Amino acid sequence: MKRPAVLLAVALLVLSFALISYRILWLKYPIFPAAPAKVWQLSMDASIKGGEKETAVMIGVPSTQKGQLVIEEHFHPGTLSFNLLREGPNQIGVWSGAISPKGELIGYSSTIQVQPQRLLKTLPPRLGPYPKNIGETERKLAMRLVEKWDPLPPTERLRRIAAAVNGFWGAPLPNAQDLGAWSAFQDTHGRVTASLVLLRAAGFPAQAVEGLPLAESVTSSTVTWIEVWTGQEWESLQPEKGEIYQKPFPFLPLTTGGLPVVRTLHGELSEVRWTLNREIINQWRMRFDRIMRSNRWLDRWSLFRLPEEFQKTFRILILVPIGALMICLLRNIVGLPTFGVFLPVLLALAFRNTGLTYGLGIFWGVVLIGYVVRRWIEKLRLLLVPRLSVILTLVILCITVLALLGNKFGLREFMAVGLLPFVILTMTIERFFVIIEEVGPREGFWTAAGSAGVAVVTYGILEIEPLQLTFFVYPELLLTVAAVQVLLGRYTGYRLLELFRFRGFWRS
Amino acid sequence: MILKSTHRLRGVGVLGMNRRNAEYIMRSNPRAFFPLVDDKLKTKQLAEAHQIPTPPLYHVVDHHGDIPALEKKLDGYHDFVIKPARGAGGSGIVLFTEHTEGGFVKQNGEVVPMKDLAYHISDILSGVYSLEGLEDRAFIEALVHPDPVFDEVTYRGVPDIRIIVYRGVPAMSMVRLPTRVSDGKANLHRGAIGVGIDMAEGTTLAGVHRSGVVTHHPDTNKPVTGIPVPHWERMLLIAAKAVDMTGLDYLGVDLVIDRERGPLLLELNARPGLQIQIANQAGLLRRLELIDQAPADVFATVERRVAWTLDTFSTHALR
Repeated sequence: MKRPAVLLAVALLVLSFALISYRILWLKYPIFPAAPAKVWQLSMDASIKGGEKETAVMIGVPSTQKGQLVIEEHFHPGTLSFNLLREGPNQIGVWSGAISPKGELIGYSSTIQVQPQRLLKTLPPRLGPYPKNIGETERKLAMRLVEKWDPLPPTERLRRIAAAVNGFWGAPLPNAQDLGAWSAFQDTHGRVTASLVLLRAAGFPAQAVEGLPLAESVTSSTVTWIEVWTGQEWESLQPEKGEIYQKPFPFLPLTTGGLPVVRTLHGELSEVRWTLNREIINQWRMRFDRIMRSNRWLDRWSLFRLPEEFQKTFRILILVPIGALMICLLRNIVGLPTFGVFLPVLLALAFRNTGLTYGLGIFWGVVLIGYVVRRWIEKLRLLLVPRLSVILTLVILCITVLALLGNKFGLREFMAVGLLPFVILTMTIERFFVIIEEVGPREGFWTAAGSAGVAVVTYGILEIEPLQLTFFVYPELLLTVAAVQVLLGRYTGYRLLELFRFRGFWRS
Repeated sequence: MILKSTHRLRGVGVLGMNRRNAEYIMRSNPRAFFPLVDDKLKTKQLAEAHQIPTPPLYHVVDHHGDIPALEKKLDGYHDFVIKPARGAGGSGIVLFTEHTEGGFVKQNGEVVPMKDLAYHISDILSGVYSLEGLEDRAFIEALVHPDPVFDEVTYRGVPDIRIIVYRGVPAMSMVRLPTRVSDGKANLHRGAIGVGIDMAEGTTLAGVHRSGVVTHHPDTNKPVTGIPVPHWERMLLIAAKAVDMTGLDYLGVDLVIDRERGPLLLELNARPGLQIQIANQAGLLRRLELIDQAPADVFATVERRVAWTLDTFSTHALR
């Protein structure tokens, strides 16, 4: 008897986890979708002056990769045609077409979440070739220069190279002839290339990266730095300043592998302006934009694809099963009595509109008024259905009066009361009366308090926004909820309150 | 603390609500047979077909239109009981002990005029007392004149005997004694006392009143322990037999002992309560497990099952 239920629960769990894993591993969903989202708002504006021929402007823009997530991006092509290309690891926006004599304005904007590197195992990169146009003599020279640091640990060697590019060679100085040749080389090729050559000679895999400093700023120029693999992790080195940065790097990469961020063909780009702003965006919008643009199968069947006004309903609806789960827990594990099975869930939903204090107050108020009237009606000997109808009318009347009072005194909560589940309230009054008459007031109040208590707990759960978001992003979590419900259905142990009820057995 | 008390309860073999529902009621009692026990009239008809004695049936009221004609019919009876066929937990049952000029006298002395009685029957028919609020039938049967054995420990009303029967074997029992609070009714949740019965001896043990153990009746102050229950073996036989006719394997059988007619079957309950364990100071689960371990030939006849119970479930033998 127990086996099939457990098997079903396991099957539901496996299915749910498989779907979630698929989303996390393949669709790159966040593991904790509700973690606070601080993002960078990046925008770029530029104006193009045309040449005689058709002009093309190629600009490197950030793409989703390890360490950063592009949530949304917009391109403003103006009158030009626009293409998005990939070039190696880089994403390049290409604006092309004939430029009017007045010039053309183009733009780009995106929202980027810079994530702390996930603890993914990075493969050690292979040692690449020397930068182009570097002859045999220069290679030999560079090797001679870095030779003396070979016994040092990698991080220390990196530090020495960074210092050397800035002219500090340290004792013992290389011989004057080598030093002279090197500074001539560095003057012609620049510090970035010089650093790359020295790093290659010292056996460090390295690449030049161009991008922006991660700080709120407006700038017209990009910076170039070098990412170096020290055998354990990536470090970055800014040759112009001779500084070395550990993770997280204070940069936003635009292009890597020595590719310039901005390239133009038959034209001239002027007034390039990069703007970076820090922003905290709405969790819902962040998921919404990302999933709306995806063509993956599960993304197309995501709840985020619903029109926004219906999304609000589903945010709550999808949590109702958790409320039901709470009722299972409180009834079958704890043993609290409640009126009916789902009254507390409906009450909890109503509390969302009225707030907890007013909601509870109205619940008790209406039930008590109903009880008094019901007691009095008993004398009239009304038949069952008409009698229930009278109580229903009374409940609606109470709610109407409350709404009018709320309007008079400016209490919105009293007007929101209309959504309280009035049918359920009616049945509650009847059950409350019957239990008090038949079993006694203690049992009646105990059951009413149980219902209200379960409703409060359920309300508390429905109000947790991170939970709403998590279930909205991963609706398959409902299968997990169902699995727990199935397991609870086969719980045959004692209820907590039974331990109290049968206390005579274990106390003696 | 929670683990320890759970362990203790399991050690004594106390049956909890969850296990009762999942392991016994759902497994032993096919849903299709529930109407036989949920409807007291059907139970009564079934019992008669199987030669099990029940209180004589006077009248059945099916429709509101039958009520006006009832007055004349009731004129012939001095005392009687009105019951809803599908009432739960004793709700809607009224006992009338006398018939006077002003109307009918309830067992608590209150006089009920005919129009009130008609209103009550109308309520029953509308389903006020029925399990799911469905339309119901009312019936009127003979008032039982209880055997005097429990007179000293009964405050008005009729005491009844509840026997839990599992797979046809009586497992545990108690006598339920009405109190002033319970208004003559024998339902524990209304404040009646439940007094455990030693299955082998047929004598009463300690009692339970509102979850607490009692040795004396709260209204009469007479001891409830050590009373020998008359017709004990016959009642066990009736209980064991009553279960066979229903097709249900886990039942509470409610009996009354009439002064003249002896034990009568009152009703059957497919979801008998767990309070009986406190009345007996014994765990039901342990006994149910013993029944499951009993040799197959025990279940062959009603007599063998009862004999096995008398052998196995004496309070002394279990300790």
